[in-house]
Amino acid sequence: MSVSELPTKESNVLKGHEGGVLAARFNSDGNYCLSCGKDRTIRLWNPHRGIHIKTYKSHGREVRDVHVTPDNSKLCSCGGDRQVFYWDVSTGRVIRKFRGHDGEVNAVKFNEYASVVVSAGYDQSLRAWDCRSHSTEPIQIIDTFSDSVMSVCLTKSEIIGGSVDGTVRSFDMRIGREISDNLGQPVNCISMSNDANCILASCLDSTLRLLDRSSGELLQEYKGHTCKSYKLDCCLTNTDAHVTGGSEDGFVYFWDLVDASVVSKFRAHSSVVTSVSYHPKDKCMITASVDGTIRVWKT
Amino acid sequence: MESDEEDFVFYGTPIEREEEINSRKRKSVADASGTMRTLPHWKQEVRDEEGRRRFHGAFTGGFSAGHYNTVGSKEGWTPQSFTSSRKNRAEVKQQDILNFLDEDEKAELEGRGLGTSSQFDTFGFTAVELARKQADKEQQQRPSAIPGPVPDELIVPAAESIGVKLLLKMGWRQGRAIKDSRANSRYDARRDARKAFLRFSTGDVKSEIPNSEPFQDDDDTVSQPAKGDVSSSQSTPVYVINPKQDLHGLGFDPYKHAPEFMEMKRARTAGNQEGYKKVFSTKNNLFGFRTERIASGFGIGALEELDVEDEDVYTSGYEFEETYVQEEDEPPSKMITDGKQKLIGRKVEGVLLGFRIASKSDYQMERFDPPVIPKDFIPHHKFAGPLIGGYKLADTPPVEVPPPEDNNLKLLIEGVATLVARCGKLFEDLSREKNKSNPLFSFLNGGTGQEYYSRKLWEEQLKHVDQPKPQFDDKLSPSLERMTAESRGKILGEKPLARSAKELNPPAASDGVHVQYNLSDTFTKPTSSGGMPEVVKPFKDDPAKQERFEQFLKEKYQGGLRTGAPVGAINMSEAARARERLDFEAAAEAIEKGKGLKEAKLSAEHFVDFLATGGMQFTSGGVEEVKDTKLEGLMMEKMFPKREEYQWRPAPILCKRFDLIDPYMGKPPPAPRMRSKLDTLIFTSNSVKSTKVEESLTSTPSSLPQSNAEEKDTDGSENVNEKVEVECVDRPVDLYKAIFSDESDDEESTSTLKQAEDPNKKVEVANTTLNRLIAGDFLESLGKELGLEVPSDLPPSKKGQTAAPQNEAVPVGEQNVNILSVEDKPYPTPSTTGILSDHRMTGFAGHDLNSRKEDNKLDHNSAGSGSKIMESTSSKKTSGKVYEEEMYKDKGDRKANNRRVDIHRDCSGSSSSEDEKRRKRSRRRRYKSSDSEDSASSDDYHTKEHSKSRDRKKGSSQGKKSQRKHSKHHKHRHRDSSPRDHHRSRKDRTVSEREKHRWRD
Repeated sequence: MSVSELPTKESNVLKGHEGGVLAARFNSDGNYCLSCGKDRTIRLWNPHRGIHIKTYKSHGREVRDVHVTPDNSKLCSCGGDRQVFYWDVSTGRVIRKFRGHDGEVNAVKFNEYASVVVSAGYDQSLRAWDCRSHSTEPIQIIDTFSDSVMSVCLTKSEIIGGSVDGTVRSFDMRIGREISDNLGQPVNCISMSNDANCILASCLDSTLRLLDRSSGELLQEYKGHTCKSYKLDCCLTNTDAHVTGGSEDGFVYFWDLVDASVVSKFRAHSSVVTSVSYHPKDKCMITASVDGTIRVWKT
Repeated sequence: MESDEEDFVFYGTPIEREEEINSRKRKSVADASGTMRTLPHWKQEVRDEEGRRRFHGAFTGGFSAGHYNTVGSKEGWTPQSFTSSRKNRAEVKQQDILNFLDEDEKAELEGRGLGTSSQFDTFGFTAVELARKQADKEQQQRPSAIPGPVPDELIVPAAESIGVKLLLKMGWRQGRAIKDSRANSRYDARRDARKAFLRFSTGDVKSEIPNSEPFQDDDDTVSQPAKGDVSSSQSTPVYVINPKQDLHGLGFDPYKHAPEFMEMKRARTAGNQEGYKKVFSTKNNLFGFRTERIASGFGIGALEELDVEDEDVYTSGYEFEETYVQEEDEPPSKMITDGKQKLIGRKVEGVLLGFRIASKSDYQMERFDPPVIPKDFIPHHKFAGPLIGGYKLADTPPVEVPPPEDNNLKLLIEGVATLVARCGKLFEDLSREKNKSNPLFSFLNGGTGQEYYSRKLWEEQLKHVDQPKPQFDDKLSPSLERMTAESRGKILGEKPLARSAKELNPPAASDGVHVQYNLSDTFTKPTSSGGMPEVVKPFKDDPAKQERFEQFLKEKYQGGLRTGAPVGAINMSEAARARERLDFEAAAEAIEKGKGLKEAKLSAEHFVDFLATGGMQFTSGGVEEVKDTKLEGLMMEKMFPKREEYQWRPAPILCKRFDLIDPYMGKPPPAPRMRSKLDTLIFTSNSVKSTKVEESLTSTPSSLPQSNAEEKDTDGSENVNEKVEVECVDRPVDLYKAIFSDESDDEESTSTLKQAEDPNKKVEVANTTLNRLIAGDFLESLGKELGLEVPSDLPPSKKGQTAAPQNEAVPVGEQNVNILSVEDKPYPTPSTTGILSDHRMTGFAGHDLNSRKEDNKLDHNSAGSGSKIMESTSSKKTSGKVYEEEMYKDKGDRKANNRRVDIHRDCSGSSSSEDEKRRKRSRRRRYKSSDSEDSASSDDYHTKEHSKSRDRKKGSSQGKKSQRKHSKHHKHRHRDSSPRDHHRSRKDRTVSEREKHRWRD
């Protein structure tokens, strides 16, 4: 994939959030996207046509992260109200509220079967919530982190969390081991490569670090953007050829995965780009910013 | 009777009442006797002998008791209620017989009491009594501010006693002393005379006054108290009450043997009370004035006693006194004489009986001039050295300069600035001098990057000043407090000799080991020698322990030569040493964690360079402060990303939801580590000792060059680490399955029996190079094995990667990172990871030590995992040798391949060692409880055998071990289905059969 095929042209602007948008996520097939923000709402969009479909309101404070099940039937979201909400997409009603975090909840993810929601909280813990039973108690609490857990990723058998204590810890359920990779820098956001062999960690020293999951080796560092105080998302493109991430100055950066050179950067928003999400199949990307807009980028 | 009345002539008046009463009496009597009985009881009434209804119940109560009958109130008796609240305290009521008496009874009682009538009350006692009673009565009636009875002193008898009357008749007046009035008059006369005299002789007081004073003295001292008494006896108290005014204990008399003092004190206190002022002011106005001043409480605490000395101290030199005196219209000229007078007067008052004031006192206050302060003295001392970081801060901050392009230079500058900020200007000067020729350090001499350096320095100092104090204190005070030989040596940069190690070793071995030890120190980088930064000195207060800790860390993280003996003081017991080792483990873990959180700023090589050039003079022995944080940063840079592994227990339901098999099969989490630690502490000692012995044995006869030995040793340590890593990746499920599935295979015995007979002899024949080969083989096969066994997620490639290099003798440094990160994996947090990993480790170690006597004990032991690393290092050597031996003996035809197989087996056994150990433990338990369980179970058979051949314990345990190994291995082999292995196993089986027979014989 050449540089020219990177999604750098703006195709749509999704407006509707009042106040900053904190996260924007494609759904699993990339036809829709979800966003959440400071206005305590979660919004469902069709980014390709630029249509706002639905608004989910129930959160008491800002919504920090949202995730949708692979079958698009359920949502989970979390935020400043220390709760994890489990929504029904079509009715827009909250099915369950998971309380238990002692602090704001930073990130939330469904597992593969949408049976478990794993949330990462400011209370230095990862919590797994059971969606199948009616219990609202966490079925697992992982509290080996020594600082706020900022981000969480799930594989079929692992829970991976990135924390401000500088560690990326993966918890393997099959062998019952915790593998902690200490990066020495507060980890803002982690995202997994599509082949699930690498973890991309955004650190607060304005560096993205690519880790080999099996060996814990630092494969590459990506620099050039600014990330010092905000939680900024990063991700790999659908082909795993490039690494992309937002910057605090409103730019979006593309790095080459292998040689870590900045292959493209453009101004996407007027202020901090909080979230980037890459289309699972196409060359399309959405970015969200604290300026309240979500922009859809295509080639 | 009535019918007869008319026939009689009556004289006098008839006593009608009598009759009435009588009739009533009669009636009552009749009632009582019988008439009433006819009535139902509720109509019966009880009357007294006068016919009144006065029945008071069973005792004297009854239905009408109290109702105007006895008590005099309608309510009658009300039971006494006790209420007491915080505000209203219930007072203790003194009960009296009078409380229970009726009026008439009281009257009766009153009549019986004897007393003098006031008419004949000669001494006024009765009057007083009466007055008191009256007062009491009044007191009860009117509310009073002061509750309780009136104090006796306040009640003055209404009548004067006859004595007073007589005295009065004799001319005595109230308020006069009964003493002869002559004294008074004489005194008065004399006083007048003196006054007059004083007025005249203002000029020559000195000569005159001494004459007059002595006479006055004794008169005063004697008469004063009496006067006071008399004057205050106007109202004669009924009782002479001596109120307690001091703070002495009851009955304690401080003046018991010095009545003079008591007298004086009484005089003074009396003077403080009323009357005193009057008397003394008349006597001597100056003196009176003086006492009054003091009595008003100036300068004297409430609890202090007024003393003569007190007056002395406070009187002179206060101006307001003089002005006060001047207000009294006394001529200023007189003041001078009065000053003298005052002095004498005061002293006069204080002089004891039989003493007199010295006419001239030879006590002179000697005055000294204050020392002259030198002109150049600066009151606030500033340290020129590094201690005060703020000495430059007053300067205007240097301009912010963009860092130089060269990243290395930038890092170097930052590093130097930090160090200089921490250590002071001295350091800067030193490094400048040292690096004159070094172009990298040109910024110190005004070359490139100088501005940036100054800016950075300023920033660092600012930072440093922000939080220097507590830190500083922390660092400094302990070292100041206990400056032991060690700490002093540390400060001076001396290298302490490892005397403990020396003493521990047998003398033959000690020299070689010692040299090794020192060599290892010199060969390893200086970064690590003193390397633990000050911040991470967990045993600061115990220098010896800290030293041991550092040694421990070095051995733990570094490779290099070992001293062989555990780094402990000789005087420590084994248990204490094991405990300490546990402490060290925990501390090292904590330090490791702490490091991870800090930033790494300097690149590695640069700092090393810098240290080698600039900082070297500080680092000779171990002045840690210079290097601490930077060094740490450097290490961190090398370390990140650092991988650690811990045990983690997913909840069963989580596994279920993820559609995975719970790796722990719902087993309860391991027991807290502490308990097991204590359990196993007992067993450590022996094993440790044995290791020691063997270590020395192996090390002494080896005639190889030192470097070779060192290499070997590092090699061994790496192996250990690798083992640990690989060990931890195991899947517990497999282990259990493996063990419980092939129980039947246990019968098979091994080919390793021959060497069991005399392991010690074989140890001596050990060859180090072969050892290394074996180690490599071992690891490789281990990796293979695990690559097959572990889930696919942990790619086998990695295993091979880690294991393979051993074989090819890849440079040590490259693997160091891995090792470091891996090393403390199994014991990260004592609580969570706990036993299991520990067990594994120790199981591992135990397995390796299988040629040892303490084999089973070690197996059992999970404490001191750190020491285990070392042990296993050494033990592996021996075990390797053992295998070697065995190979040579048994299957001489097979060479390296077979060796590999052997090790392979070994490692498979080790992977299952946890379960093995567990089972063994349970077996042991069984064995303890019932020896009779003589089933066909192979386990029991072996235990029995084991117990029987105590003397051949080594052999038997070895056999057992290898059996287990084999059984385990069989399974894997089946899985692998490698023909060679099958062949091998069959062969083993036959061999084992043979062995068994031999044992049975």
